[in-house]
Amino acid sequence: MDDLEQAILLASDSPAAAAASPAVRAEALAYCARARDETPPSSLLHLCLYGLASSPHAHVHFWCLQTIHDALLLRRRLALPDDLALLRSSLLSLAVSSNAASPPFLRNKLAQLLALLVRFEYPHVYPSYFLDLIPPSPPLPGPTDMFARVLVSLDDDLLSQDYPRNAEEASDAGRVKDAMRAQCVPQIARHWHEAAVSLRAADPAVAAVALDAARRCISWIDVSLVANDVFVPLLFDIALSPGSVAPLAAAAVGCLSAVAAKRMDARAKVALLRSLMSAQKGFGSPDSGLKMAHLVTAYAVEALECYRKLGSSDADGAAALEMLEEVLPAVFAAAESGDDDEVDSGSVLEFLSGYVSTMKAPTEKQLGHLGQILEVVRMQMSYDPVYRGHLDVLDKIGKEEEDLMAEQRKDLIALFRSICRVAPGATQLFIRGLLVTALSSAEVSVEDVEVALTLFYRLGEIVGEEEIRTGAGLIRELVPMLLSARFSCHTHRLVALVYLDTISRYIKFMQENDQYVPHLLTVFLDERGIHHQNAHVSCHAGYLLMRAIRLLKAKLVPYLDTILQSLQDALVQFTATDWANKDIKFSSSEDGSQIFEAVGLLIGIEEVSPDKQVQCLTALLNPLCQQIESLVMDAKAQGLEESSPRAIGLQQIIVALTMISKGFNERLVMGSRPTLGVMFKKTLDVVLQVLISFPNVKPLRSKIISFLHRMVEILGISVLPCIPIALRQLLVDNEAKDMSEFLYLINQIICKFKSSANALLEDVFPAIASHLSVILSQDAFSNGFASNTEEMRELQELEKRFYAFLLHIATHDLSTVLLTPSCRHYLENIMQLLLITSCSHKEISHRKTCVQTFVNLIKDWCSSSEVEDKLPGFRVFMIEKFATGCCLQSVLDKSFNFRDGISIALFGEIMMAQKVMYERFGENFVVNFVTKLREAHCPPDLAEQYYQKLQGNDIKAFKSFYESLVMKIRQQQNGSLGSCIIYVYKALPFLRSEDVYCGNIFTEPGYRGEVP
Amino acid sequence: MVIAPLPAMASLALSILRSPPNLTLTIVAFVFFLLFFQALPNQQTVDYPSFKLVIVGDGGTGKTTFVKRHLTGEFEKKYEPTIGVEVHPLDFFTNCGKIRFYCWDTAGQEKFGGLRDGYYIHGQCAIIMFDVTSRLTYKNVPTWHRDLCRVCENIPIVLCGNKVDVKNRQVKAKQVTFHRKKNLQYYEVSAKSNYNFEKPFLYLARKLAGDGNLHFVETPALAPPDVTIDLAAQQQHEAELAAAAAQPLPDDDDDLIE
Repeated sequence: MDDLEQAILLASDSPAAAAASPAVRAEALAYCARARDETPPSSLLHLCLYGLASSPHAHVHFWCLQTIHDALLLRRRLALPDDLALLRSSLLSLAVSSNAASPPFLRNKLAQLLALLVRFEYPHVYPSYFLDLIPPSPPLPGPTDMFARVLVSLDDDLLSQDYPRNAEEASDAGRVKDAMRAQCVPQIARHWHEAAVSLRAADPAVAAVALDAARRCISWIDVSLVANDVFVPLLFDIALSPGSVAPLAAAAVGCLSAVAAKRMDARAKVALLRSLMSAQKGFGSPDSGLKMAHLVTAYAVEALECYRKLGSSDADGAAALEMLEEVLPAVFAAAESGDDDEVDSGSVLEFLSGYVSTMKAPTEKQLGHLGQILEVVRMQMSYDPVYRGHLDVLDKIGKEEEDLMAEQRKDLIALFRSICRVAPGATQLFIRGLLVTALSSAEVSVEDVEVALTLFYRLGEIVGEEEIRTGAGLIRELVPMLLSARFSCHTHRLVALVYLDTISRYIKFMQENDQYVPHLLTVFLDERGIHHQNAHVSCHAGYLLMRAIRLLKAKLVPYLDTILQSLQDALVQFTATDWANKDIKFSSSEDGSQIFEAVGLLIGIEEVSPDKQVQCLTALLNPLCQQIESLVMDAKAQGLEESSPRAIGLQQIIVALTMISKGFNERLVMGSRPTLGVMFKKTLDVVLQVLISFPNVKPLRSKIISFLHRMVEILGISVLPCIPIALRQLLVDNEAKDMSEFLYLINQIICKFKSSANALLEDVFPAIASHLSVILSQDAFSNGFASNTEEMRELQELEKRFYAFLLHIATHDLSTVLLTPSCRHYLENIMQLLLITSCSHKEISHRKTCVQTFVNLIKDWCSSSEVEDKLPGFRVFMIEKFATGCCLQSVLDKSFNFRDGISIALFGEIMMAQKVMYERFGENFVVNFVTKLREAHCPPDLAEQYYQKLQGNDIKAFKSFYESLVMKIRQQQNGSLGSCIIYVYKALPFLRSEDVYCGNIFTEPGYRGEVP
Repeated sequence: MVIAPLPAMASLALSILRSPPNLTLTIVAFVFFLLFFQALPNQQTVDYPSFKLVIVGDGGTGKTTFVKRHLTGEFEKKYEPTIGVEVHPLDFFTNCGKIRFYCWDTAGQEKFGGLRDGYYIHGQCAIIMFDVTSRLTYKNVPTWHRDLCRVCENIPIVLCGNKVDVKNRQVKAKQVTFHRKKNLQYYEVSAKSNYNFEKPFLYLARKLAGDGNLHFVETPALAPPDVTIDLAAQQQHEAELAAAAAQPLPDDDDDLIE
C-alpha cells in the first residue's frame, strides 16, 4: 500500500508531486493504472479499504473510493457476495462515523459510492441501507451531513430526471423509490424536520444540506410529509429569519418552491397553494419577494397555470387568480431587485408575459398591476450607470454593453408590446409620467432618460400610423412635449440618438400639425441634432433630417433660408480638406453626406420658385466647383496620392455633388427648369476634368462613377456627348472590380437611352470586349473550386454584369451594334459563350439571362425568311446548337431541378425560345428538333404530340407537356447524358483552342454538368 | 499531511484581494499565494494570483483548441504525460494587475483514463464546453456539471457553446437553458475564429476577484483565426447592404428586364 500511496500522490496535484520529475510521475500514473486494472477484484477491494482506513491523504482516499466505484459500475467486478458484504459494512460504518470537517469532495465520493450500492442492492439484497444511515435523534452534524449527501447523490446519479438515463437506470430508480416510500420516507421526513430545527443555529451548513436533500425528494414523496402545518411554518421561519445564513435560507425556499411546484391535479394544487398562502402572513408582500424570490415566482407560475386550466368562471380558478394577484407585489419586488444570483429574470419575464396574455379588458386592479409590470420592464431595460462613459464614446466595452442590452431588451420589448395592446391608455400614461419626471429634474440620469425615450420610441412602433398622424390619445400632448425637451444629459450619445430617433418615429404627427414644423427643424438643426458635439449623432441627425424633408417637402419651403443658414458650417465642414485628420470611422451609410442630400431635396422641391432654386443651387454648386478646380490645379502641379488629404477632399466634394443631385429629377432639370440643367451640366464638366486629369486614383474614380450615374439620371440624353471620353478614362488601369462598376454604368446608359446609345456603344464595345477577354481569361478562374476569395467574388460579379450587359443590348434595340464591322470580330466568341453558358453554367440565373438574350437576338436578327437574316449562319447555329444543347440536352440532364424556383424560371425561358424559334425558323427548327428528340429515345407518339403543342397557343400546356416529356425521356435513358453534351461542344464548328476567352467559362467552376 | 489549509489560505488571500484596493494588503495577498498556493506540480509559480481552472466537456467539443488560442499559454504549456492532462498557464492583464489561470485541459481522457474527476480536486473555477453542432454534447452538460460540483463545491463555472462559426448549428442559442437553472454564465464561442475568447476568462476573473467591474486592459496574443466567423461575414454583409443602399443608382437595371 505504501507504494500505491506514493504513486497516487505523485500522479495527482498534491504538493508531493511538485518536486517530482515528469518521468517519475509518468511511472506513478502507470503504477496506479496497473493497480486498478490488473489487481484481482477481491485483492483490489481489500487494498482500497485498507487505503481508506490507513492513509492520512485525501488524494489516496479519493482514489480508493473512485476505484471501487469504477470497479462496481464499469466492470461489474467484486461480484462475490462476501466482498460486497464487506464493502457495504465498511462504507456504512465510515458514513455513520464520518466527520463533518473532512473535505467535501471525499464525503461526496463516499456518498456516490453508497448511492451506487443502494441502486444495486436495495431493498432485495440489503434492505436496511436507509435505516442504518438515518441519523438517530437528536441528529448530529456529521451523520446528518453524510446522510443528506447520500440522498443528493442518489438523486443526481439515479432518481433525478435532469440527466439522461437508460432503461436499466429508470427501472432501478422506480424500484428504489417504491421501496423507500414503503419503508422509510416518513422517518426520513421526520429526520429532516428534526435536523432543521436542531441544526439551523448549531450548524447551518449541515442543516442546509439536509434541506437541499429534502427539496430533491419532494417531487416523488407524499407531499403532505412536508406540506403540513408543522414543517411549512418552520421552513418559512428559516427562510425569513434574519438569523438564517444565505445558503440555509435558500435551501428552505427551495423546499417551499418544490412543494409549490409539485405536480398534481389543478384543484388539489389550488388547495395546496392556499395552504401555503395562509401559512405565512404577508406572503405576497414585497419583503417576501426579496427574501424568497424563487418561491414567489414558482408560486405565481403555478397559480397562473391553475387559473388557465380552470378558467375564471370556476370557483377554484377564480381563487387561483386571486392568489396570483395577491403574490404579485412580491413577484414585482423580486423582479426589480435585479439580483441575478437569486432571480431567474427569464422565468419571471415568462410569467409576466403569461399573466398579461390572460387579460382582455383589464380591471382597475389589473391596470395597477400592468403599471407595475411596466416599471419592471423599465428597470430591466435600463443601462447600468457604470458603463455611462463607455457608452458615450462607444469604446469596446461600450459596444459590448450595447450589444448585450439589445439582446436583453428583445423579450422585454415583446412584453411591452403586449401590455401596450391590452392597455394602450395606461401605457401612454406611464410614458407621460416618465417624460414629465425626466423633464422636471436637472439631476435626471442618462439611463433614466434613455429608457424613457426608448419606451416612447417603441410605443410609436405599436400604435398605428393613423394614431400618430392624428395625435390620438396622449400622443397629441407627448410629441410637443418631446419637441421642446432639452435634457441635462442631452450631450450623451445614447440620449441624443434615441431622442432623434423618437422624434423621427412620430414625424407623421408634424405632417398634420404644421405649427410644430419649426420646433422639429430646431431639433434637427441645433445642438440636439446636426450641431451635437458627437460626430455620430450629428451624422445621424443629417440622415434623419433628409428623411424628414422627403416626407414633409412643401411644408418646409418657408424655412428654406433658415435651414440653409443653419447647415452652412456643417456643409463647409464636410468638404474641408482637413477631413482626413478627423479620427472618426463612419459606417458607409451615415457618413455625414446626407445633409447634402437633404439640401438638394429641399432646393429641388417644386414649390420653391425658379429664381430661388437658381440662387440656392448657385450658392451651393459654385464654391464646390471652384474647390475642385483649385484642388485639381494643385494636384497637377504636385501629384495626387490616393490617400492624400487632397484626394480625399476631392472625393468628399464629389460625394457631396452626387448627394445634392439626388434632390432633382430629369423632368424638373431638363423640362420645367432648364437653367438648373445647365448648372448641373457645368458641374459635370468640372468633375470630368478630375477624371481626365487623374483617371487611375481608384477610390476617387468610384465616386465619380456614382456621380455619373446621377447625371445620366437627371440630365437625360444631353449627357451623351460627355460620356465617351469618361468611359475611355474609366477603362484605364481597369481590374475586375472596376470593370463591374463600369458595366454597371454602361448598363444604366443602355437602359435609359436605348437605341439613342447606338453610336456610343458601337464606339466603346470593342474596347469592352477586348478588355473583358483579358480579365475573364482562362487563368482567371483557374483557382478551381476555391471560389471563396475576394478576387473570385469580383470575377463572379463581373461575369454576372457582363451577361446582363449582353441582355441589355439585346433587349434595347441595340443588337445591330454587334454586327458592325468593328464588333464583328468578337461576335463568334460571344455566341459561343452565350451558348455554353445557357447550356451548362453552374449559376442558373446566368443560364436564364443567356437564353433571354438569344430569344431577343432571334427576334432582332431573323425574320421568317432566311434571306433577310442579318447574320448569316446564326439561324443554323440556333437550330443545331442552341436548340439541341440548351432546349433539350441541358434539361434532360439530371442536374436540372424542376423543383427549384430559378430553374423553373429558366425552363419558362427555354420554352419561350422554342416558340420563338418555331415562329421564325418554322419547319427547319421542328424537323431538326424532333429528330434530336427521337435520338434521345423519345417515343414517336410523344414527338408528334410535341409538334402539336408547339403549334398551339397555350404556352402553359406546352410547358407542362414538355416537362413530362423530359421526365419520361430521363427515365428511359436512366441518366448519363454527359456524352451528349460533350458531343454538342465538340461539334461546334468554330471552337478553336486559341479562343481562350470562352474556354474558361465552361471548364472551370462555372460549369455544372457531368462533363469530365 | 493536511490538505484543507491550501484552498483555505488561497481563499483568504483572495478575500484580501477582493477588498478595496490597498497596496499593502494586495502584496500580502500575493505573498500568501506564493507561500500557500502551490497551484501545480512541475510548473514554476508566479508572483501574481493564479487559479486552477478545470475545463471539461465531451470529447471533440474543442477544449484543447480553445486553450491553445492563447499564445503565451501555448508557448509556456507543459505537457504532463505523468498526469495525463495538459496544463496551460494563461496570463491575463487586468486593471488590478496580472492574473494567471492554470488551465487543466482534461482532453483525451474523458472516459476512463488518467485520474478523471481526481483532477478536479482543488479546482477553483471551471469551463464546461459543448459543441453547438452536436446536440449530444449539450445533453451531456448536466452530467459534467454534476461530476464537477461533486468535487468542487461552489466554484464559478462558465458554460461555453463552441463552434458557433459553423453554419449548420444544431443547438440554437435559445435552446441553451441549462445555465439559467444552475446559475452559470453562458457564452457562445468559436475557438477557431477567436470569437469571445476572453469572455469566459473575464467572467471567472471577476467572480474570483469579487469585482464585477474588473476588466482586461490588454488583449492577450491569440493565434490568428482559422476561419472568419459568420457574424463577421454577417456584419460585412450588412455593411455591403448598407453600401448598396447608399449607391446612387435609382433602379436596379436587372429589374427592368425581369
